[in-house]
Amino acid sequence: MISKRNNIESLVASFALVFVTIPATAFAWQDAGGDEKKDESAEKKKEEPDKWFVVKNAEIHTGTGAVLRDAMLVAKNGKIDDIGHDLEIPPDAKVLDAQGMRVYPGLVAISSSGLLGPTTSDFGDTVNPFNSNMILGLATGITTTGSGNAAVKLKRFSIKDLVVREKIFAVFSWSARNPSGKRSLREKFVSAAAYLREFRDWEDKVKKDKELKEPQKKNVDTTVLAVLKGETTAKFNANDRDDLLGIAHLAQEFGFRPVIEGCVEGWTVADELGRAGAMAIVTARDRRPKDEALVRDGGSSIENAAILHRSGVAVAVVSGTESVDLGGIVGRDIMALPIEADFAIRGGLPEDAALASITTTSARILGVQHRVGSLEVGKDCDLIVVDKDLLHYEAFVQWTVVDGKIVYDKQKELYFAHIRPRPDAPAEPKKLDKGETEPKPDADKPKEGPEEGGKKGDGEKKNGDGEKKGGDEEKKGG
Amino acid sequence: MMLASLLIPLLPLPLGGDTKPGPTPNLLAIRVGKAETIAKGTIEHAVILVENGKIVTIGEDLPIERGIPVLDRPSWVVMPGLVNAYSRIGLDSEGGDDSAAEVKASAELYAQAKDFQEIVKYGVTTLGLYPAGNGVPGQACAVRPLGKTKEEMLLADACYLKIIARASPSAKKLIQDGFKKADEYAEKEKKAREKFDKDKKGKKEDKKEEKKEEPKPAPGAAQEPAAAEDPKPEEKKDDGFVPPEPEPKAKPWVDLRAGRLRGLVSINSAAEFLHYVDAIGKETFSWDVRLVVQRESDVFYVLDKKTYDLDFDGIGDKKCRVVMEPVLSVTPGTMRNRNLAMELAKAGAKIVFIPRNDTLMDAKAWLANVGEIVGANLDRSIALRAVTLEPAELLGVEKRVGSLEKGKDANLIFFSGDPLEPTSKLEAVMLDGRFVHGEVKL
Amino acid sequence: MIRRGKGMHAIGEHARTSRARLVASLFVLALAACSATRHARPEVGDRPDLSPLRPGERGFALLCGKVITADDEGRMFPRGLILVRNGRIAYVGERRDVPAGYAVVDCGEQWAMPGMVDLHSHVHSGGFGDVNDMVIPVNPELRVAPAVVPGNPLIKLACASGITTLFGIPGSGTSHSGFGIVYKTKVHATFDDCVVRNPGGMKVAQAYNPERRAGDFGATRAGLAYILEDINDKAVGANRAGRRDIALENLQKVHRRELPVLIHSAGSDSWAAAARMWHNTYHTDCVLSHGCFDAHLTAPWIAEQGVKVNAGPRTMDYLVTRDGAITGTAAKYIAAGVKSVSVNTDAPVMPQEELFLQGTLSARLGADTYLMLRAVTIEPAKQFNLAHRLGSLEVGKDADIVLRVGDLLDPRGRVERVWIDGEIEYDRARDGQWF
Repeated sequence: MISKRNNIESLVASFALVFVTIPATAFAWQDAGGDEKKDESAEKKKEEPDKWFVVKNAEIHTGTGAVLRDAMLVAKNGKIDDIGHDLEIPPDAKVLDAQGMRVYPGLVAISSSGLLGPTTSDFGDTVNPFNSNMILGLATGITTTGSGNAAVKLKRFSIKDLVVREKIFAVFSWSARNPSGKRSLREKFVSAAAYLREFRDWEDKVKKDKELKEPQKKNVDTTVLAVLKGETTAKFNANDRDDLLGIAHLAQEFGFRPVIEGCVEGWTVADELGRAGAMAIVTARDRRPKDEALVRDGGSSIENAAILHRSGVAVAVVSGTESVDLGGIVGRDIMALPIEADFAIRGGLPEDAALASITTTSARILGVQHRVGSLEVGKDCDLIVVDKDLLHYEAFVQWTVVDGKIVYDKQKELYFAHIRPRPDAPAEPKKLDKGETEPKPDADKPKEGPEEGGKKGDGEKKNGDGEKKGGDEEKKGG
Repeated sequence: MMLASLLIPLLPLPLGGDTKPGPTPNLLAIRVGKAETIAKGTIEHAVILVENGKIVTIGEDLPIERGIPVLDRPSWVVMPGLVNAYSRIGLDSEGGDDSAAEVKASAELYAQAKDFQEIVKYGVTTLGLYPAGNGVPGQACAVRPLGKTKEEMLLADACYLKIIARASPSAKKLIQDGFKKADEYAEKEKKAREKFDKDKKGKKEDKKEEKKEEPKPAPGAAQEPAAAEDPKPEEKKDDGFVPPEPEPKAKPWVDLRAGRLRGLVSINSAAEFLHYVDAIGKETFSWDVRLVVQRESDVFYVLDKKTYDLDFDGIGDKKCRVVMEPVLSVTPGTMRNRNLAMELAKAGAKIVFIPRNDTLMDAKAWLANVGEIVGANLDRSIALRAVTLEPAELLGVEKRVGSLEKGKDANLIFFSGDPLEPTSKLEAVMLDGRFVHGEVKL
Repeated sequence: MIRRGKGMHAIGEHARTSRARLVASLFVLALAACSATRHARPEVGDRPDLSPLRPGERGFALLCGKVITADDEGRMFPRGLILVRNGRIAYVGERRDVPAGYAVVDCGEQWAMPGMVDLHSHVHSGGFGDVNDMVIPVNPELRVAPAVVPGNPLIKLACASGITTLFGIPGSGTSHSGFGIVYKTKVHATFDDCVVRNPGGMKVAQAYNPERRAGDFGATRAGLAYILEDINDKAVGANRAGRRDIALENLQKVHRRELPVLIHSAGSDSWAAAARMWHNTYHTDCVLSHGCFDAHLTAPWIAEQGVKVNAGPRTMDYLVTRDGAITGTAAKYIAAGVKSVSVNTDAPVMPQEELFLQGTLSARLGADTYLMLRAVTIEPAKQFNLAHRLGSLEVGKDADIVLRVGDLLDPRGRVERVWIDGEIEYDRARDGQWF
């Protein structure tokens, strides 16, 4: 995507053009703008007034280690414009008073399923930005998720500019169960590395000798070559100690940084993974028994994330299941992402690394850290306002903001509004959405209203007699 | 006019019989307790004069000239015959998944299909028939259900182009590809025009500029429904330019752009609406919505732009019609009813009701179902309009059917009481001035 | 040290009286056998015993950052002291001089809490395969005791999470599932070492799981109810006649309220029906277990009847109630006034070691945090008549102590040490971190 540097370069370029050919100014701007899309957005910005968004009175945890108390964050057109104290609030700014609350960067889930609707590709043509899983993802604090091989934002009600990055990973298999696969992958790396050496050599020499022929790309695996050139990230799904060691050695030999998903026995060879600059995607509560026949360490360990971290492996935490589970079992699905990070802390991971494991580190692994994962000037204004320490089990996300727009307000959705309602908010969200009919007399009754009110009339009395039939269908499914 | 002072009913009409009424006199005065005209509100003690299948006049307590046969039913309520704008009653074929925009439902029309005779008994006097299939299955026609031949039945053809919107790249591409065909045609037409102008250049030069704009309405020049309803007639035809005929596959899309055809976009959910809006991009043409009302519907999110701060216009903002079943849905995840028809109407959309399912049984229960939605706070006049004039306008046959007005087809249905009450009985059905159902004695 | 010996676990042994008798007889035996003077262990209701240890007695003093007793007064002692004498608690309270003879264990800032109790667990055999034969719908003679594998890997993990007592029960695939065992999660123990009560209680199942899907008798709620009422009536009849029916011996005890019964039930319909049968009709000492789906809708009625609730493994309901809210079930029972609420894992449905998390998540979803701490400690102990020994840190109770960093419900805090009957069963520093 567009990095800051590119923009500056293009600006410089455009200025140069302006100076050289004054009559062609208009065109110069257009040239500098690059592709058509940019032109459109530039045009749009000219037409529309700037959109300002401000969070004030907050304890801002930037995700970079800094914590600012009683601070403000100002965003302009979806990007963070300033963070600090006593900043000027632009007129027409949408202001969110986060008195007594903490602000964190929006969480980055390495992977999830269902938050974007039933889709893993062609996001602009398939995402369902109205689906309830997306609301629950935002309620968890997730603002960006890996899906398929892309990083996509949870932009509620919109399908514009969803995708932050595509084609993130080149996925390889490295498994003791498939020795020939390992051998052939290694050969691919050998030949790609050899080609790359020749190519670099040629690049140097061709400057002097323009006649020199470019080396031939014979039998070179383009994916592996892209990994070696740093254009894409190699990802492995591996859990066994032997496989992890093999990957670490391969990475060290050919000089690339592997991402390893699973990594259950990573703690047993953490030093090698650290030396390889590996990045790990782990579930803190993964359970795998040790093979008692072996003397060496093995199996899962609650300390996995902590030990990997201590060895220099960047650790991202993912939940046990990637989707939203509303069947009643709580604490293992995507909504428990912060709880999973808690278990990494239980295993010894420092709190800041645990927060990073679901924000900055996961953004880095997805290669989108230039846009999301932390609160810094110039980055996307994706943030969450939480009533207490995000990693405390009672913490609830009160507001979620994506691109400088509030897309989730706990008190305005039915899911969690009744649990420790925000003092400033009306005791109960409007139970009936606009235009809803059948306002039962007790429908607006606070708290227990819906549970009892909704069913009391037809079932509650009979409950005592055990005759009630309602809800059987759903139950069987659960 | 024709009516002079009072008149007493003289002749017993030879109607009688069972469900198959006999011939109706060419000239007939009808006096009922109440008439729901749709166009001009409710008329108490209404008198309607029907001649040669048309409504000659309608009014309150009009005097009836001596000699005119009178049907006097002071307890009855009359309203225009029902218009079901979205049906496949009497049709059998199956469609594919692809774009078949050029297909016309009228091609599969079979006048002798028994269903047509049946449907009339439930008060349906106009049908909009659409072609089957997914993707872009083709164009609908408007028919009167009774007629010996296809031609006799057909009221209008190419009424709307059915487009099925889905949140998938292939569905969106079908629409975009359609308009690409229109682009190709526009290019072709432009070239033809240039050649034509070049040939004529010798004669007049200054006319040229005006002509340049003619072939295609500038993109962005909104074809709001109003504009589409009376497409500007070819303005400067006098210069003799005959535009080339578009390919059959391209024609519907060219017609859409030119306002000669309107789209009917089928959606199930808010996301499908959004993806449709995204697919058409800046393309402006007239379109209405066919909303399949799901039990748990999230369509309330896209009623208007304001409520949820959307970055696109909602269904209501577009002021388009919404063809939907008269059913309540619930807010997803809850058992809380919501009346989407009412919400859509409040947001600015125009409601077109169709029976809950496309069967004879549901046609029978149609008005009772609409009554339930009225019971859930939908405005009664909107509801009545949603089964008569609004669908007639969707089909482009509003000049002939859909309301009780002077000059319109005498399609009348008579109830023993309020048409929206399930206890009311459909007493008689008149199609083009002839009783086709019910026991009617003068 | 006196361990609970073999002879103590005759069928039906269930209360302090017989044990005290046994202890006394052992004491006499010991006196006779050797010269060492044995001291009777502290009993519940005893005054704190601050006397020095006598020769041959074992004891240690725990100096903690905080002691959470989970007793009925809700006492907590910052910088507290616990004296453990012969496997029981002799003193708990503020710091004071440690009596002579006690080994001092200084735990710094760490917190001491009672070991947790889970009443709905299937990990006693080390897996899920050994929990129910699934053949005969009525199994009043079946006991899980023969299936127990003490110190199996699942029990070890449970111990490392701070669970010290489990009610291991047969599965819910049959209407009358059989009799379970209350045992401690000692990591190296013989069967006799870890048994608290055998049979520990009865298990029955109503609705869903026991439905006879083969189409034989008991496919409907009516059939299921009949199966249970039929066998209950037989036991009640035997009790009335003063007859001892070997096949119904344990069930007869249930109907004499000598053994509690844990009832698998869920959904508002069967949940209320179960309470009606076991609580209102047969007047047994019953605990309703699960209470998932929309069973919480009956909470006010359940509260009125005074029925004990053991909620879980589902801690919330969304799909069944369908009012758009994610309802924390434990919170609903408490709010409705149910006095006795515990939570369970139904392990391995939820991993056994995550019992505390069931409390954590219930607290997250609206239940009071302290009540949730009680819901994994003293409440289950009370519900199963084990509170004279377990569930809180009080004088005379078993020294089942968990030492950890911070709030018991916070997943971030790890368990440092676990004592059961005054013996260290898990020590993170010594054993490595198991969980």
